[in-house]
Amino acid sequence: MKGIEVGSSPDAQTTVIVEGSHSTSSTHEAGLSPAAVLRSVFREERFFLILSVFIGIFSGLAVVCFRFLIDWCRIYLLGSGAVLSPWRIVLAPTLAGLLIAVLVIHIFPQSRGSGVNQTKSALYIFNGHMSLRTAIGKFLTASIAIGSGHSLGPEDPSLQIGATLASVLGQRMRLSRDRMRLIAPVGAAAGLAAAFNAPISAVLFVIEEVIGRWTAGILGSVVLAAVSSVVVMRWFLGSESLFRIPSVELRRPSELIAYAILGIIGGLASVAFASGIGNLRPRCKALPQWTQYFQPAFAGLLIGIIALLGAPQVMGAGYEYIDEAMHGQFTWQFLAILAGLKIIATLLSFVSGTPGGMFAPTLFIGAMLGAAVGGAEHALLPHLHWSPGTYALVGMGVLFAGFLRAPMTSVFMVLEVSGNYSIIVPVIVANTFAYVISRALQPAAIFDVLTRQDGLELPSMEEQREENILRVEDAMRPHSGPILNADDVIEKALHVLRKSSSSALLVRLQPGGWGCLSREEVEKRVADGQGDATLGSVLEGQHIPSLHPDNPLDMALRYVDRWPLVPVVNRANLRKLEGVITQRDVLDRYRDFGGE
Amino acid sequence: MANESVHRDFSIYLRREPVLLALLSVLAVLATLAVGGLSRIFHAQQDALATRWSARGAADLKAQHFQDAATEFRTALLYARGDFNYELSLAQALLGLKRTGEAEAYLVNLWSQRPENGLVNLELARIAAGRGNMSQALRYYHNAIYAAWPGDQEAQEINARLELIHYLLSINAKTQAQSEMISLAANLDDDPAHQANLGALFMRAQDYEHALAAYRRSLDVAPHNAVALAGAGTAAYELGRYAMAQRYLQHALEEAPGDAQTAERLRVTELVLRLDPFRSQISVAQRNRNVIAAFVAAGQRLKSCQAAAGPLVSANSNADLQAEWDKLKPVMNASGLRGNPDLANTAMNLVYRIERRSNLGCEAPTDTDLALLLIAKLHEGN
Repeated sequence: MKGIEVGSSPDAQTTVIVEGSHSTSSTHEAGLSPAAVLRSVFREERFFLILSVFIGIFSGLAVVCFRFLIDWCRIYLLGSGAVLSPWRIVLAPTLAGLLIAVLVIHIFPQSRGSGVNQTKSALYIFNGHMSLRTAIGKFLTASIAIGSGHSLGPEDPSLQIGATLASVLGQRMRLSRDRMRLIAPVGAAAGLAAAFNAPISAVLFVIEEVIGRWTAGILGSVVLAAVSSVVVMRWFLGSESLFRIPSVELRRPSELIAYAILGIIGGLASVAFASGIGNLRPRCKALPQWTQYFQPAFAGLLIGIIALLGAPQVMGAGYEYIDEAMHGQFTWQFLAILAGLKIIATLLSFVSGTPGGMFAPTLFIGAMLGAAVGGAEHALLPHLHWSPGTYALVGMGVLFAGFLRAPMTSVFMVLEVSGNYSIIVPVIVANTFAYVISRALQPAAIFDVLTRQDGLELPSMEEQREENILRVEDAMRPHSGPILNADDVIEKALHVLRKSSSSALLVRLQPGGWGCLSREEVEKRVADGQGDATLGSVLEGQHIPSLHPDNPLDMALRYVDRWPLVPVVNRANLRKLEGVITQRDVLDRYRDFGGE
Repeated sequence: MANESVHRDFSIYLRREPVLLALLSVLAVLATLAVGGLSRIFHAQQDALATRWSARGAADLKAQHFQDAATEFRTALLYARGDFNYELSLAQALLGLKRTGEAEAYLVNLWSQRPENGLVNLELARIAAGRGNMSQALRYYHNAIYAAWPGDQEAQEINARLELIHYLLSINAKTQAQSEMISLAANLDDDPAHQANLGALFMRAQDYEHALAAYRRSLDVAPHNAVALAGAGTAAYELGRYAMAQRYLQHALEEAPGDAQTAERLRVTELVLRLDPFRSQISVAQRNRNVIAAFVAAGQRLKSCQAAAGPLVSANSNADLQAEWDKLKPVMNASGLRGNPDLANTAMNLVYRIERRSNLGCEAPTDTDLALLLIAKLHEGN
């Protein structure tokens, strides 16, 4: 049987034998009807997997169109050259801001805001339902905004477009409520993967920030959707990464100190960026309604002026400038200025309600800051090995960890983008510092801040990750009551119980396992004339499932109402009693935990 | 009844998932076709923009307007991401702007795509040479020589090797340069300019024999080439073949009468030929006259050297030579030389020693002194 996997499908009563690529079905032997075969093939979880591929394809196609539209907007609004005309620099984002405001206020009111949070809302509030109109609005307004030079990125809108397409497909397919809830994150992963050209990071981000938990059921769908969308995107747009990755190396372990400093500075910059958004956004929203028409235009005007004054790099997503920073085209002083100006430009764009994402600006700020810090360190300590590309890459991860507060995605994103595993140690060191500083100085993550500002109460993934889980060991107590063996008789049990204050006794069953009898039951059986019966015969088929000290306390809840006393046993030796737990113990522990 | 039930179940599923999936597949194909159409329009526009900007970049690169060229090639790359030729041109513009690090990043990336590309290897070799990284420079130069070149492959190979030779000569790696030149000579055609160029390179490597051969090959095809004539004359001069040198230099001067350097070399050559007492086909009387003239010139050289250096220095350094000269002086006449056949050799040995030592520590030699030095070199060991 080596190399052969046997799986059974209880619903369809079908056995599938898979050996390498060859698969046979014993359907005919089982005498199943074609309907049963179809039912088996299209069981919802399998159908969901197939659907995930389609979600990936459609999301990939939508993201490709989104990229086309952004480029067309840029060419027609800002011009086709790398050196922009001064008039266009000022007028394009300003006039585009006016148009966007009209579109957002009158036609697509849900288009502003974070796509991540809207996807989470679909998951936790709207049973997976998302509006196609919102996605169309996001598609159009974000294209105009990014194409005209607003400092925003295409990733978050792509994520939302993917999620909405998935939701619409799910609604048309009449999926169950459980599947509908999960379908938006599947589409979100597909959209993000296509926008980033990085399927692993997209999957991780959606798991880390949207779904918040690893489950086999959803993971397969998310991966399939992400991979298929990336395949589609690469088919139309090619497989080049967003920027050319320079050679990366860590020559001496002492260089990690330099990366730690980058982590600290990146953490502080993240806090400044997040605080800026957190403070300014509600103020802008609180301004009189008529100002909403002019806020994006005003933001565009200011960005245009910044560009006109010598920093056109802050306009748009800015990937081409990340590339240049990585290859040492800018001095470290100018890189630091660019990082600061990009924070301002992104703040202006985002708080004014202009639709667009913050992933690309985060990467831009991180890259500039990273290369600037590296350059400054090299200027101060000339013997330090200095590669702007390495610092820029690490800087991107630092901002991702500090600002978006997605620590795992931040590490894997840098690895996936760079394709170089030697960078992992600097990235982990720097990201850890940035994340810890950001956590300490800004308790709520940016997505949670935005959610609360929008009046929603979505689960915080960060809080979930760090939530203390109560375990059985937190509620169990040592057992002081009687323990009898399976071959002891009921009479003896009654005798022991009368001598003890305990209301129940544990029975060690043969060949293994535990049972439990209450004082009332023992007395009743003696009264019924079963005093000679052995405990083993009385408890036959009533084994208590094994509980271990490390099990979640939730698990104990399933048993404590069925047995008056539940044994907690050692994992290595199931006969060894670690303690016992009762319904009262569990409830007391939960009550105390609520007070903590 | 059972058949009806099966049929009903089947039809239900036909209305559901399989059909929906089939519809989705059709929709996906249609959407892909539609996006494919859009993609064609998009890419056509991108290609047109890339072509337009790269054409401007190429013109500016040719005119050595490197800043504009770099901007234009960057713009072209916005529309044709990863295009090999645009990236290469951008790297060249960046090199023109002395932004070597950035250019190198592009070139290394291009090299990883096409390690056989000649121009990429050549540019990387230049960067490595500029940084003084000889081993890397040699590796890239050799890659460039044996690489694939567009157009005239042979000419590009020769140019790459010529550049390598220039680099090796610039770092004084004459032996390696010589072996490259010998390889080059084997591949070079009879073009007189190429051969003259090769001769000049051999001259720089002080390989006068090969230099003379190259110049002569050049002169076989273009006998009136003044540069080749002067080069051949100089090579012959350095080899001590003064008669041949005189011939080539005279012709060179006939072709280019204003060439002061050749005229000077010819004058020294003629002096060597005139003063050399051991030249064949001269009479004994003439030989004796040459020996006496050389002896007198050496004495003058010694005196002027002593006068320039001062009494203390001269007393220590040239006193032995002066004593020898003084000792020989009474017999250094025609009758003395006739009476003692060894005297000529003894006197000329003294002359050689005086000229050599004076050349090390005294003022610049006169033409006669230079000629005597060359004669000393010519008859070294005799």
